[in-house]
Amino acid sequence: MRKRGETVMAAAAAEKPTKEKLLSTLDDIEVLSRELIEMLALSRTQKLPQPGEDTDILELLVQRDKEFQELMQTAVEQGKVHQEMQALEKEVEKRDSDIQQLQKQLKEAEHILATAVYQAKEKLKSIEKARKGSISSEEIIKYAHRISASNAVCAPLNWVPGDPRRPYPTDLEMRSGILGNMSNMSTNGVNGHLPGDALAAGRLPDILTPQYPWQSADVSMGILPPHHGNDFGLEPPGHNKENEDDVEAMSTDSSSSSSDSD
Amino acid sequence: MASAVAVVEEAEDYSFLPIIHDVIKCMDKDSPDVHQELNKLKTKIQEAREQIAAMPGIDMSPALQESRLRTLREQVQTKNQLLQKYKSLCMFDIPKPS
Repeated sequence: MRKRGETVMAAAAAEKPTKEKLLSTLDDIEVLSRELIEMLALSRTQKLPQPGEDTDILELLVQRDKEFQELMQTAVEQGKVHQEMQALEKEVEKRDSDIQQLQKQLKEAEHILATAVYQAKEKLKSIEKARKGSISSEEIIKYAHRISASNAVCAPLNWVPGDPRRPYPTDLEMRSGILGNMSNMSTNGVNGHLPGDALAAGRLPDILTPQYPWQSADVSMGILPPHHGNDFGLEPPGHNKENEDDVEAMSTDSSSSSSDSD
Repeated sequence: MASAVAVVEEAEDYSFLPIIHDVIKCMDKDSPDVHQELNKLKTKIQEAREQIAAMPGIDMSPALQESRLRTLREQVQTKNQLLQKYKSLCMFDIPKPS
C-alpha cells in the first residue's frame, strides 16, 4: 500500500508542470534572499552573533538558485519540443483534410455507382419482362393494318361532311353487333324484324346471318354488303351507297347522334 | 569550449546569486548603492516571473510533453499510411457537375 502511495506521489510530483515548479522556486529564492538580507542587516545593527542560521539560509538559497537554473534549462528545451509539436499538429490537420477530401470523393463515387447499378437492374427487369411477353412482329403489323383499315386513325380519302362513317362504332353498329343482337334475340324471333338500325348499318355478324329469314332475304336482295371477314379489307364507299341511303332514312327516326353531327 | 562557455553564460543569466552577492557587499561597505542593488534584485525577480509566464510549452511536465509528442508522431505516421493506402486504390474520374 505504501509503495503504491509513494508511486502515486512520485507520479503526481513528476507530473507537476514545469511552470509551477519554476514559480515556486522563484518564490523560495525571493523569500530566502529577503530573509538573508534582513538577517545580515539585523546582525550588523545589533551586533549579535548568529549561530549559523545565516549559513543555513545561504545554503538553501544556493540550492534553490541551482534548481531554478536547471528548471529554466528544462523550460527552454520544452519550448523547442513545443515548436516541434506545433509543426506536427499542423501536419495532422493537413492529413485530416486530405482524408476528408478523399472520403467525399469516395462517397460520390459510391453514389454514382449505386445509381448506375440500380438503373441497370431496372433495365434488365424490363428486358426480361419484354422477353416473357414477346409478340411476333407479324401479329403487331396485322393489328396495325386492322386498326388503320377501319379508318380509326385517319378519315378515308373520300370522306366528306355528311358521310355517316365514323372512326368509332356508331349506335347503329353497336346495336347490330353481337351484344345488341343477343339482347334482342327473343323480340326478333316474334316479329321477325330486326331493328332498322342493324339493317341500315349493314354490318351483321356472321353468327346471326343464317338464323333469321329476313336476314337471308336481305342478303339475297343484295342490301347487305359483303361482311368484312377479310381482316385487311374495308368496303369502298360505293358498295355501301344503299346502306348510306338507309342510314339517312333511319337516322331521321332513330336518336342516333352520328348523322346529327353532319 | 565555446559551447561550454555559452552554457555557463546561459546558466549565469538565470542565477540570482551575483546580485545577492552585490547587495551583501554593499551592505558590508555601507555603500549608498544598497537600495539600488536591492531594486535590481527585485526587478530581476519580476522579469524572471514575466519570462516564465511567456515561455511556451511549460504548462505540462517534460514526461507528459514527451508522451504527447510521441502520440502526435504516431498520428502523423498512421494518417500518412492511411492516405497512401487510399491513393493506391483504383480512383474514379468523377465528372464535375456542369
